[in-house]
Amino acid sequence: MLKKARKERLVWIDITITLLALELMAYFYYGIRSLALGGICAAVSLLTEMISLRLMHKNFTADDLMCTSDALIISLMMPSVMDYKIAVIACVFAVTAAKNIFGGRKNMIFSPAAAAYVFMLASWGKKLLLYPEPHVRTGLFDTPEKLVSSASYVYNTTGKMDYTDFEILLGNFSGAAGSASILLLIVAAVILIFRRDISAGAFIGTIFGTGFLAYIMPVSASLTAADSVKYSLVTNMVLFAAIYIISDKRIAPQREYYAFFYGLFIAVFSYIVLLTTAKENVIIIISVLFTPVALGLKNLEKKIELAYESDLSPEPESDDADGKEADSE
Amino acid sequence: MFLINDFIALLAANLILTQALGTSTLFIAANSRRNLLRTAFVITVFTVFGSIGAYFADRLLPEKYSDLRLLIYTALIGILYVIFLSALFFISREKFEKSRKYIHISAFNCAVMGTLFTINHRAAGDSSFMNLKSYAAAGLEAGFGFILASLILTAAYRKLNSAKVPASFRGFPAMLVYLGIISMAVYTLK
Amino acid sequence: MNNRKSTVFAGILGENIVLSSLMVISPVIVCGNTLKNAEALIYAFNSITFLSVFISSFVPRKIPYALKVIIYALISSIVYIPVRMAASEFFPDSITRIGIYYPLLAVNSLIVFQSEAKLFRMKRGKMTASLFFYILGFDAVMLITGFIRELFAFGTINGKIVDIDTTISGLSQPFGGFIFLGIMCGVYRKIRAAAYRNYNDKRGGADVSDK
Repeated sequence: MLKKARKERLVWIDITITLLALELMAYFYYGIRSLALGGICAAVSLLTEMISLRLMHKNFTADDLMCTSDALIISLMMPSVMDYKIAVIACVFAVTAAKNIFGGRKNMIFSPAAAAYVFMLASWGKKLLLYPEPHVRTGLFDTPEKLVSSASYVYNTTGKMDYTDFEILLGNFSGAAGSASILLLIVAAVILIFRRDISAGAFIGTIFGTGFLAYIMPVSASLTAADSVKYSLVTNMVLFAAIYIISDKRIAPQREYYAFFYGLFIAVFSYIVLLTTAKENVIIIISVLFTPVALGLKNLEKKIELAYESDLSPEPESDDADGKEADSE
Repeated sequence: MFLINDFIALLAANLILTQALGTSTLFIAANSRRNLLRTAFVITVFTVFGSIGAYFADRLLPEKYSDLRLLIYTALIGILYVIFLSALFFISREKFEKSRKYIHISAFNCAVMGTLFTINHRAAGDSSFMNLKSYAAAGLEAGFGFILASLILTAAYRKLNSAKVPASFRGFPAMLVYLGIISMAVYTLK
Repeated sequence: MNNRKSTVFAGILGENIVLSSLMVISPVIVCGNTLKNAEALIYAFNSITFLSVFISSFVPRKIPYALKVIIYALISSIVYIPVRMAASEFFPDSITRIGIYYPLLAVNSLIVFQSEAKLFRMKRGKMTASLFFYILGFDAVMLITGFIRELFAFGTINGKIVDIDTTISGLSQPFGGFIFLGIMCGVYRKIRAAAYRNYNDKRGGADVSDK
């Protein structure tokens, strides 16, 4: 138990370090406004978590700090010039409606960050999908000017990506501050997989699924297969979502085998919806829609474990057909 | 690829997730996972046969008497209700005792009646829809939508009723929020 | 507990048909996003439900259950006709506002199932009073939902603009209705638990159903 608690805190530290690195990159491109946004999101999430835990008659522990990393994920999925009030509402939504109503971190159903992003998309879609150009800095309380569509939008609708590989690696293209820094995201993925902080199966499934479909069905006929794979992985927050949302160990199935297929299904569905609708960042929406699949796979894992245990033990345990027993997690 | 597109279309046209039709029935049936899936199946039977009946009613009913549509649909569902109960009774008494509750729940509710009115609304806006095949297909689609929503709820059933959920939100309230977030994702996908 | 159940006022708080039994929630979720819609729904629901249940109470109780349910549904479908005609005469907007949910109110669970399970077991006078409070409970939820969702989704109160610069447009959508009603349900249970001591302990162990 103690080991598990420690593990949760270490996961939070590792993830937060990688997110802070992305925040620093965002500061380099967009200035102090992106840092302020991250700070506000983290502070509001922390405060909301504390209040809601108090209302649930629970104590706040270091494990509950995971809400701050969720907040940083939310801030990195927004344009750095996003209205602070919208960011505040999104963070409150993530902590309360998407997490604590279902019992908090011990009974997670949705990825709070993904649910909050979809919530923002449904309510303030236009504001969420217009970004400042890199190196255009906006003051803390200035009204943003000359906002543009993201490189993902241009890629989805035209099949073109007018950036060099070097610019793509460094994140020097318009888009959400966190999802554009590809080199940093690759480093983060490697670190988090080796530290076992994220589900390797889900991550590999997502990358493999997107890469494979991009290879056989490019967005545009003018693209080579290699370019199609490259651009499909770096746009539409695919890499970012693969690391921080789909591979979130709180949500993804525990066994890597199932997690792989979970990631693969999300990637396949997302890519096909992208091809047919050209919708931006569709992978986040699909990851929320696939929550029942993750839960179904987890239920399957439990049933297999129970069957395995009953095979080993001389007296078989009865399985509850209606699922009326308390959650055994 | 087409299958995935069809699946997304089924989600986008889902009457529960997009119009909340049949939500009460879904929750009434949600007292166990087995009930939920059986009710979903019976509702599908009602929506399909009800839609077929609604087609003939819509064809025969003059527009100036449209206020009578509800009465006709109700009579139609009432007839189906009696037929299904009688058929079950004559097939097997044991099955009748076991399964009649599903028929009781599935007959008069927003899922079935809402499907009929939604189909009628569609046919009123698009004359090419006014044929038996389209009506039956739309009824089947609505039924599948209900089954899909049941499966979505079934997957989270244990977590939504877990002792870890605060007592005030355990069960129905958590189910509503859960369906709301899934419905939100469907909305952004449209 | 039994005393509470038997009270005619239970329909407002203790056994609110929307928040406790989750009946008639589709119109609340989809149409309950403005006060004007709420008013239209209240008119339709009140008139159809009250008249239908009152008339249905004269149906002999010895008839088989399935037939009774059909008769109740047919009675409410007949009641719907003059109610709708009156609405098109006096509140023409209300019909377009509610759309297909207007006829669906006539086959709501309170008329078709709950009346048989609960109301018709009472004497007619008590039944009428209970029915009145059940309806009042629905009206209260409808007005609160319509007011809050309109305020935060459109930044208006009954169509008049108020000073809110960040509106949450999603709250006006069905998914917003689902989430809002879920939260409202939880808050309601908390209030109910405070109002009726020990009630929540019993609820806490309950599995799903409120019934």
